[in-house]
Amino acid sequence: MKSHGNFLLLLAAGIAFGAIYPALAGDYFIGVGLTLLMWIALTQSWTVLSGMTGYISLGHAVFFGLGAYVMVLGWTEKLPLLVTIPLAGLVAGLLALLVGAPCLRVRGPYFVILTFGLAEFVKFVVVSVEAGLGKAGRLLFATPSLETLFYIMLALAAAAIVLCYGVRRSRFGAGLRAIREDETAAQTLGIPVTRFKLAAYVLSAIIPGMVGAVMMLRSTYFEPLQVFNPITSFTIVSMAIIGGSDDAPGPLLGAAFLVILSELLWANAPELYMVILGALLVAFVLFLPEGIWGRIQKLRRRRAA
Amino acid sequence: MDVLLSGQLVVSALVLGALYALVALGLNLIYGTMRLLNVAHGDILMLGGYVAFWSFTLLDLPPPVSLFIAFAAAAGFGALVYSLIFRRVLKSTAVLERIEANSLLVFFGISVIIQNLASLAFSANDRAYPYLDQVIDLGGITLGADRLATLVIALAVCLACVFFFRFSRVGLAVRALIQQRDAAALVGIDTDRINLLVFCLGFGLAGLAGTLISMTEQVSPFIGFPFTIAAFVIIILGGLGNLYGSLAGAFILAGIEVYGVALTSSSFRSILVYGVFIAILLLRPQGLFNRGSATR
Repeated sequence: MKSHGNFLLLLAAGIAFGAIYPALAGDYFIGVGLTLLMWIALTQSWTVLSGMTGYISLGHAVFFGLGAYVMVLGWTEKLPLLVTIPLAGLVAGLLALLVGAPCLRVRGPYFVILTFGLAEFVKFVVVSVEAGLGKAGRLLFATPSLETLFYIMLALAAAAIVLCYGVRRSRFGAGLRAIREDETAAQTLGIPVTRFKLAAYVLSAIIPGMVGAVMMLRSTYFEPLQVFNPITSFTIVSMAIIGGSDDAPGPLLGAAFLVILSELLWANAPELYMVILGALLVAFVLFLPEGIWGRIQKLRRRRAA
Repeated sequence: MDVLLSGQLVVSALVLGALYALVALGLNLIYGTMRLLNVAHGDILMLGGYVAFWSFTLLDLPPPVSLFIAFAAAAGFGALVYSLIFRRVLKSTAVLERIEANSLLVFFGISVIIQNLASLAFSANDRAYPYLDQVIDLGGITLGADRLATLVIALAVCLACVFFFRFSRVGLAVRALIQQRDAAALVGIDTDRINLLVFCLGFGLAGLAGTLISMTEQVSPFIGFPFTIAAFVIIILGGLGNLYGSLAGAFILAGIEVYGVALTSSSFRSILVYGVFIAILLLRPQGLFNRGSATR
C-alpha cells in the first residue's frame, strides 16, 4: 500500500509541475516538454504490450499515424477536439482489435517483422488513398495554441503512466508477464492467453492513436510518409529497451534520456544522433538487457541484501 | 493482355528474380544456421554498391572485377560483426533464447549505424556510373546489357552456391547445422567455425549483390532497406532457413512485382510487396514449402 502512496505522490507532483511548466518556460522549452510527454505516452503504452508479454511491436507508428489521419479528417470536418481525439484513440484501438488476433498467433522475430510490415502496408495504403483523392499533403489551419496541446499531452502521458503502472500490478498484468516467461505453461495454468494478449494489444494502441492526433495539430502539415514514419516505432522500442523493465519508471527514464540526447544533437548532427541511437540499442540489448531502471533495481536489491 | 504475354516482362521478372535470389540467399543462410534476422542485410548491399562505384570512378575497375573486392570486404565485415558481437552470445544457450527475438533489434541498431555513417562519409547524393549502357536486341526483346550481365552473374553465383551446399563438405556441414543444430555439434561439426563462415558468406553475397545493383540503379546510403524487405518476404515465402525454397520465393516475388506493377501502376509496388508479406505471415508463417508450424 505504501508503494502506491509513493507512486500517487510522485504522479501528482509531476502533474502539478507540468501544470505550471508552460508559465515558466518559453515556447522552445514548451515544445521540448511536449515532445518529451509525447514519447512518454507512446513508450508507456508500448510497454503494456511488449514490455509485459515480450511480443515486441516494431509497428506502433501505425497507431500514431492513423490517429493523425483521423485528426486531419476531423479538423477538415470541423469536429470539436473532444470528439476527434477520443475518436482517434478508438480507431487505433479498432485496428489493433482487427489485426491483433491473427498477428498475435506468431511469436518472436515473426511478430516483430509482421508488426513492422503491417505499419508499412497501412502507410502505403494511406499514401495511395491520398494520391487518389488528389491531395499532395494537407495543411491544418487555426490549430490550438502550444500551451493547449501541452496540457492535452500532459493528460495523455499521465493516463499512459497510470495504465502501465496499473496493468503491471493487476492480475491481468501478472498473466501477461506469465505469457512472456512461458506461454505454454501460462496456458496450462488456465490463463486465457489469446484474450489477454489481444486486450494488451488494444490497450497499447489507444493512447498512441490519440497522441498522433494531438501531434498532428502541432505539426499542422499532414504528409503520410511523415506521420507513419517507421523511425517513430524504432524510437519507441529504443527508449523502452534503454529505460528497461516492464514497469512505468523504465520507459520514463528511457524517454527522458533520448529526448535530451536528441535535443542536444538532432538539429546540428542528425546522422551522429542516429549513429549513437543505434549503438545504444545494440549495447543495451546485448550487455544491459534489463535497461537503466532494471539495473538500478538490481543495485538496490543488492544493497538491501 | 498482349503486354502480359510479352517476353519483355518475362525477362524483367527473371532479372529481378535472379537478383532477389542472390540477396535473399545471404539473409537466409544467417537465419537458417543461427536464427538471427539480419535487418542490416540491405545496408551491406548498399556498401557493396559504393565499393563498385568508387572502384569504377577512382580505379577504373568494372563491376565484374570489383564484385570480388566487394565480396571480400563485406565478408571481412561479417567476420568482424560475428567475432565482436555474436560469437560470445551464441555460446551460451540462456542468452541465445533471449537473443532470438532481440537479434532483430541488434541488427536494426547496426543498420541505423551503417546508414548514417555512410551518409556522413559519402553524403546523401545519388551516385551512378556508366557501364554497359548499350541496349541489346534478343529477337524482339530489348534489354540493357547491364541487366543481362546482372542476370548472368546472379544466376551463376546462385548456381555456384547450390553446388557448394550440395557437394562440398563445408556446404553439407552448413546444411546439417540448419537442420539440426545440436545434433550437428554432437557429430563433430565445429559450429563456431561454420557460424563464422556463414556470416562471411552471407555478408559477402550481399556485398556482391550490391555491385550488381549499382550497375542499373543509383547508389545512396538509404537504398538498402527495400532490398532487406524484399529479402524478408522471399525467405518467408520460401520458409525461413529453407535455401531452395527461397530461390523459388525470389522468382515468385519478382513475378508478382513485375506483373502487378504492369497491371496497375508503379505506385502500387510497395502495397503489393507488403501485402504479400503480411498475407504470407498470417496465412502460412512456415512458408509455402515447409511443413509444420513456425509459430513456435
